[in-house]
Amino acid sequence: MSVRFQRRVAELLCAALQFLLPPKQRDWGLAIRAELAEIAEDSQALWFALESFRGLAPRAIGLLLLQPFLSLLGVVVRVSRTRGGLGPEAVGVLCAVGAVCLGLVYMTLAGAPARYLGGNVGALVIGLVLWALVRRASAPVGRGAGALILGLSGLLLATSLLGFRVEGASRWVGFGGVFLQPSLILLPLMLVGYSRTRTPLATLGMVVAALAMALQPDRAMAAMMTLALATVAATRVDRSTLSAFAASLLAFVVTLLRPDALPATPFVDQILFSSFAVHALAGLAVVAGLGLLLVPVMMRRVCGEDGRTACFTFGATWLAGILAAALGNHPTPLVGYGGSAILGYLLSLALLPRPVRRQGAGSTSAAPDKPLPSRDLQTKLTLA
Amino acid sequence: MPRTRALSNHARAVLAALLDAGEGWSHGYELCRLAEVKSGTLYPLLIRLEAQGYLEAEWQQPEEGGRPPRHAYRLTQTGVQLARDNPPDGKVATRRGLREVPT
Repeated sequence: MSVRFQRRVAELLCAALQFLLPPKQRDWGLAIRAELAEIAEDSQALWFALESFRGLAPRAIGLLLLQPFLSLLGVVVRVSRTRGGLGPEAVGVLCAVGAVCLGLVYMTLAGAPARYLGGNVGALVIGLVLWALVRRASAPVGRGAGALILGLSGLLLATSLLGFRVEGASRWVGFGGVFLQPSLILLPLMLVGYSRTRTPLATLGMVVAALAMALQPDRAMAAMMTLALATVAATRVDRSTLSAFAASLLAFVVTLLRPDALPATPFVDQILFSSFAVHALAGLAVVAGLGLLLVPVMMRRVCGEDGRTACFTFGATWLAGILAAALGNHPTPLVGYGGSAILGYLLSLALLPRPVRRQGAGSTSAAPDKPLPSRDLQTKLTLA
Repeated sequence: MPRTRALSNHARAVLAALLDAGEGWSHGYELCRLAEVKSGTLYPLLIRLEAQGYLEAEWQQPEEGGRPPRHAYRLTQTGVQLARDNPPDGKVATRRGLREVPT
């Protein structure tokens, strides 16, 4: 490398660093550039510039990546204030986008391959399309909900019996070289759907799904089922719900007794704590991203009684997913590499109820999915 | 806010170099050589020390014409106290030729 070239590269690195640094720290970038001029030896100048870039650029890039999300959050807060509130499904979509962005920050800082970042962004785009499609179709929580849940549970059972097998676990299916985890995509959707329907077919679907989780075996998904169905049972005490809960609990116990020898996958499992070893900012991004996943539960007040149960079930579902990721070798939802959790989160959001709006607030005020007694509706409209 | 976490050996070495300079101003490259730290370690540390009020920084015009202004650093009163409270460990101080500061 020629002397002149070394000096030019060093100057370019310093210029890039100055550009990347947040406005408040630009002076420091300028300081490094000025210092470079005082170093007579060109190779030492290049080394000085390279080291400075290595020390300051990751944090600067992380802050740059966070910036669009922070701006988006500001816009949401302003819209929410002027329009009187957003529903949990709309807030959840913003949280999903934020969590995926924070996951990208973590993966960038941790040195994940670029295709991992592209994979999560692609899954987010597909998930948003699916969310819009499912949300538009009212059928999932209508008459066909029970049959749909039963049909989806059949897919989970088929995955357990015929899916791609690793270390005794059969949880995946392959599509053109991409492996997806159907349980992580479908089970959250089924659980939120079940919290809003009571048909025998839906209950049978839950029992079949529990059997599928025990067969796979998948502790994380079985725990997700158990916690979510316990939440439903706490607000809706009937034989069907208790049967579904009992089946999920039994499945969870079976998964605990069966061996789980799957090793941790880089950038997928065990990242909640290990991310802090990479960089403090990476750790904060992971924790903040996981925290965002539970934010939609806070919007339950704008929904009806039915909506609250669905919101709590949604929260329990993803809380279980987060805890499982913290405790074992299970995918860290949305902030870790993997499209299944992104698709599952957005699909489950699509079944959350829309807010009960004030009269006159909009020409097409969205009604709750189940007709409410007139007294309750009036009370909610008064309180809204 | 006062720093409660234990300082790294690199941070102690940089503080000792700045303490040695007393009222005089130091520059980035010079600090790298004196404290034997890489610039990728030095600058994040200097940024934190300045944000926490332990360090003051200013732009100084060069004595020779044709050169750009340089960023210069020295410890504030609280920075001096921090440096005195956190001397480099014996091994680092001896290896790097930094004087040990009595506490």
